[in-house]
Amino acid sequence: MRLYEYEGKELFRKHGIATPTGILAKTESAVREAAVQIGREVVVKAQVLAGGRGKAGGIRTARNPEEAAAIARELLDSEIQGLNVSRLLIEEKLDIAGELYLGITVDDSKAAIAAMVSAEGGIEIEELARKHPEKIASRLIDPFHGLRTYQAIDLLLQAGAKGEHLVSASNMLSRLYDVFSHYDARFAEINPLVVTGEGAMVAADARLEIDDHSLFRHPELRDLRIEHIENQWERAGVKAGVNYVDLEGSIAVMANGAGLTMAVMDMIKHDGASPACFVDTGGGLSPERMKNAVSLLLKKAQADPRIKVLLIMIRMMMSPPDAVAEGLMAAVNEVPERVPVIAVMRGRAPYENRARELLSNSGIRVHSSIEDGIKEAIAASRGQG
Amino acid sequence: MAILVNRDSRVMVQGITGKFGTQLSELMLDYGTKIVAGVTPGKGGRIHLGVPVYDSIHEAMKQHEIDATMVSVPAPFVRDAAFEAIDAGIPFLVIISDLVPLHDELKIKAYARGKNASYIGPNTPGIIIPGETSLGMMSDSAVMPGAVAVVSRSGTLSDEVASHLSEQGIGQSVVIGLGGDPVVGSRMIDILRLLKEDHATQGVLIVCEIGGTMEEETAEYIRTEFNKPVVAFLAGRTAPRGKVMGHAGAIIMGERGTAESKIRAFLKAGVPVASTLEEVPELARKLLIS
Repeated sequence: MRLYEYEGKELFRKHGIATPTGILAKTESAVREAAVQIGREVVVKAQVLAGGRGKAGGIRTARNPEEAAAIARELLDSEIQGLNVSRLLIEEKLDIAGELYLGITVDDSKAAIAAMVSAEGGIEIEELARKHPEKIASRLIDPFHGLRTYQAIDLLLQAGAKGEHLVSASNMLSRLYDVFSHYDARFAEINPLVVTGEGAMVAADARLEIDDHSLFRHPELRDLRIEHIENQWERAGVKAGVNYVDLEGSIAVMANGAGLTMAVMDMIKHDGASPACFVDTGGGLSPERMKNAVSLLLKKAQADPRIKVLLIMIRMMMSPPDAVAEGLMAAVNEVPERVPVIAVMRGRAPYENRARELLSNSGIRVHSSIEDGIKEAIAASRGQG
Repeated sequence: MAILVNRDSRVMVQGITGKFGTQLSELMLDYGTKIVAGVTPGKGGRIHLGVPVYDSIHEAMKQHEIDATMVSVPAPFVRDAAFEAIDAGIPFLVIISDLVPLHDELKIKAYARGKNASYIGPNTPGIIIPGETSLGMMSDSAVMPGAVAVVSRSGTLSDEVASHLSEQGIGQSVVIGLGGDPVVGSRMIDILRLLKEDHATQGVLIVCEIGGTMEEETAEYIRTEFNKPVVAFLAGRTAPRGKVMGHAGAIIMGERGTAESKIRAFLKAGVPVASTLEEVPELARKLLIS
């Protein structure tokens, strides 16, 4: 779960990382009011969960409340990287004397935590890593001991920090590590950390992604996950405990397991058709999850006339056929006017036989070969069912 | 000969009395896996599915020698279950549980490194040596003994790929799932290092996904060090950029994790890549001829 900048900054402040004075606003008048309250030059920042906001015009300076209001008029309800802008963060404009980059992330290939520092704050780190890897100082961090003070100082020294700045910036890095560790983050990043004219260290931005699997340890953040999803079907998917993704074709696809789902969609494309959307339910299926996933897609198909057929591909490893069939029938029976449903049921021989038997009078076409199921789904999507 | 486990391996199941643990253990016992002990704190002294249950690994190991353990406990308890097994000196763990927090996975990894334990998972379908033993959920009817090793990042897709091979009469020396999460115990290279020395394996089929850099590093290893023919299947080659395809690992971010980059790396290493499941057996058959 990515956090909005203003949410990330709230967590930063709780852990002693200073942020600019800022107010969240959702309307033009609230933006004007915020600018009045701050009482000086402000920055109006679109809150979207995407990188490259600045380049896309989502971060602008206003000299007075009227200018701030005019910017708000332009930004609110506009789109940045395909995402709707509904929240703006109004912040005091900082007096910038220098900028640093601080980041803590998980390096998948090394299966370890990495801390990164650069004197080139403000530039996207991926771009910097590609063009000037020598400008990033990094090291791996032991997850049991955490980031030690001397390690933070070493990193900042490598990035060229000196004197008082060395100490205060390394403190910021230690606090960022605290945030990373405390909230089970996938990454935590301050880019840039601004050194003001008065020598203070202020986090001008906050990038934070929390690991979804850890949310049982962070009940205070759990609701944000649902709140952050704009697409109503994706939101319904998260509530149902499955993964829904919108695409642009005529076949709704459901499968259990990410690899299998992708393989099925590749095969549909290979045969010249396109998936409209998909649900990956994950490997093991209870009747309830099966029902939720199928009814989500049947409802989507009702709302979206492009969708002509639902193809379901279940590999029954730890999902007994009775559970799968029960969930499937319950969902189908709830929606009498529906697109054709084609199901491929695969697994141990007794499982396959049992599934076919249970679904024999359901009106659902059951196949035991993926290739056959896909062929029939494509035919049905072209009105040849 | 087989890698990691074989027909004589004495297996423990952590979480054996749970609903999932029970279902899984039943399937494994049916397959012939030698489950000698189960562990569930508070349930020590019982016999479950004919297997003695202990309150802790320490208690179990007073009575049994254990070669491998399967961890099948709810996500919040996985970290401690893994630490317990590693502390007890069990050399190989199969962590089946899914939804495990990333930071717990990082700690398990660091702990195992320090104590020289190896493991697969979390979020893995497990490992099966066809005709010998199974630790996990691979379907008995999907596999048959043979000489092709299948190493996969996926769960249900591994089972499906094995079925496609078996239906065409191509048997497997092992089918192993690494686990679908970004931080897992063994990466593809770790398994290929074992297969290099495995006399039962003539060639390797690797089942890959978009996202991450595991395929690229694997291709480089194959090109420079591996001694057996390899073919690949890659899922997600038509996936759009920036969309998470099912789990956090499978996402294309900018240039990172794209199908093109992986296919390029494989071709450079002389590894042919199948585009559909149907093509997999044809490619795999070539492993046995060469």
